[in-house]
Amino acid sequence: MSGNRLLLVGDNPFHSISHLSQERATSRENDLANPSHAAELVITSLENGADGFMFTVSETTLSILRIVSKNGEHNQLRLYAIVPYAYEFVRLAVLAGGVPGLAMKLAQQITFSGNFRAIANGVKGVVKADPASLLRSYLLYETYRLKSSAGKKTAIDSIMLHELVTDMALALDMEWLFETHIDFMLSHGIKPGFETRNFAYLVKKFEEWGIDFRKVGIAAPFNSLGFQMCPSREACENALARIPEAEVIAFSILAAGYLKLPDAMEYVVNSPNLNGIAVGVSKENHARETFKLLGEKL
Amino acid sequence: MKVKVAVVGLGKMGLLHASILNVLDDVKLAAVCEKSPLIRRFSKRIIPGIAVVADVKELSGAGLDAVYVTTPAPSHFPITKAIYTGGIAQNVFVEKPLASSYIEAEELCNLAISQSSITMVGYNRRFSVTFRKAKQILDEGVLGKPYFFEWYAYSSDFLGGKAESKTTSRGGILSDLGCHVVDLALWFFGQLEVESAEVESLIDAYSEDSVYFSVSTLGGLKGEFRCSWCKENYRMPDIGLVVKASNGTLKVDEDKVELKLIDGSSLLWYKHDLGDAVPFFIGGTDYLREDKFFISSIIDGCNAEPSFYTASKVEEVIDQVKKSGTGCRAR
Repeated sequence: MSGNRLLLVGDNPFHSISHLSQERATSRENDLANPSHAAELVITSLENGADGFMFTVSETTLSILRIVSKNGEHNQLRLYAIVPYAYEFVRLAVLAGGVPGLAMKLAQQITFSGNFRAIANGVKGVVKADPASLLRSYLLYETYRLKSSAGKKTAIDSIMLHELVTDMALALDMEWLFETHIDFMLSHGIKPGFETRNFAYLVKKFEEWGIDFRKVGIAAPFNSLGFQMCPSREACENALARIPEAEVIAFSILAAGYLKLPDAMEYVVNSPNLNGIAVGVSKENHARETFKLLGEKL
Repeated sequence: MKVKVAVVGLGKMGLLHASILNVLDDVKLAAVCEKSPLIRRFSKRIIPGIAVVADVKELSGAGLDAVYVTTPAPSHFPITKAIYTGGIAQNVFVEKPLASSYIEAEELCNLAISQSSITMVGYNRRFSVTFRKAKQILDEGVLGKPYFFEWYAYSSDFLGGKAESKTTSRGGILSDLGCHVVDLALWFFGQLEVESAEVESLIDAYSEDSVYFSVSTLGGLKGEFRCSWCKENYRMPDIGLVVKASNGTLKVDEDKVELKLIDGSSLLWYKHDLGDAVPFFIGGTDYLREDKFFISSIIDGCNAEPSFYTASKVEEVIDQVKKSGTGCRAR
């Protein structure tokens, strides 16, 4: 922890994501998708001041997590997991012929996991057409996968719903989904979180629904450029000022590589309600320099 | 005035449009239509307050101003036809592509005209800030006279796909991703004539997985298209264009626009520089702009673009490619 700011290594480069340039993402070295190499980058970041890892739960990131967790020096590793890995779900849906095909694949995965509580919730969800039971079944399955990979000594700080789920649920007024996730995670001693690209809208909805901001974490884009801060930088900053009690983690602080780190940090320094930041790194020297600098300035 | 809308098909695109429509102030999302009993059953619980029906005919009498058709491509024609013939709504948005052939597209155009319908097809890249910037540069004549262009449309969606992969429901690479670049090319350069084409089947004997074709415009401009959904390293679909002209070269993709002039000067715009903000972000910024434009067109009683007529020209080019396509092979 740097001062009171949480510094997290983001996983976008490990999934070949560059929001600045798809061309750059496709031409990146395949090494980044290699869990051993990616784990080295995470470990280097931790050794230079990062507190933890924020990642979407996939086979790649779980492999990285297994390697990092085996390295006994990082037992205090802070973990912020995002579910589901939306890209993989969309790809599965494409290959399986749509949402029903995807549901079948997921049901198979949950069944084969042998997690009886997850299976029981899933069966209840299908029989009673109860979406909350299905969500609990899925969250049990993901929590089990995460804990198995993180090992007994590493605690999971937060499990966040992926932005596609959060933002779709916000748009469709699915209050039940937020309540279910919050209740489920709190009952398992894990902080419920939500990743969003519509921070101001989320805050407004949570206020309407009476959701206690002290209990949740929120990850959203924050940067001096206002990049992906919807509907505007000003609206997001106003919403942030209203909820000092919430744990808010900024991502896209570099506006997808458009800003230089020193400029990006100045914005974070001047935003006291941001409790943490997540930054992706793609090279060893990049990992060292980034987290050293962040540790010094924040 | 609130525009009363229904969405037909609750797959990925249906959910996306339903979400966007539900946050627009001037829209009332009144109903969704989905043929899968499983999805219908859950939809009633997941999104309460919105009617859920099994067949598009059940939307009759709902007083709808517009319907979004977001089902798999092969069903666009019968569903859109049923909306018009059943008097379900006057205005229709169809996700791309409009139909499975030019003949079907023409029939939908005629039905739309007979109903004085405001129509639109989901060629969302027209609402991308980078492609809009590129169009502006071409229209302003900064590049001089173009003499060659090359479009590409790549994804890894079916990389390693097996015979049982559901490629047919998406109608082949040209109807799936390639139609975007055909639409943009028609928008940028006008009418196209296909000169030669190669269609490659990689997944099975019937799938159209990789397509190359060359075209010319009425003004004699030459161009090429390369499309594949079995390309390595495309985590997200990517489309782009290179235009060579008398005064320089223009490159545009989903993220940036690069202009290099023969006097040695160059300019680069990322989407950050081009005013890419939207009131609500889901799945990208283009979709919200697209839906807002269609809804405003209905409220203002104006034609929307790309209309059915405009999109029918895409089908005409795709039909030409299929007719002149050679070199098919299955692995």
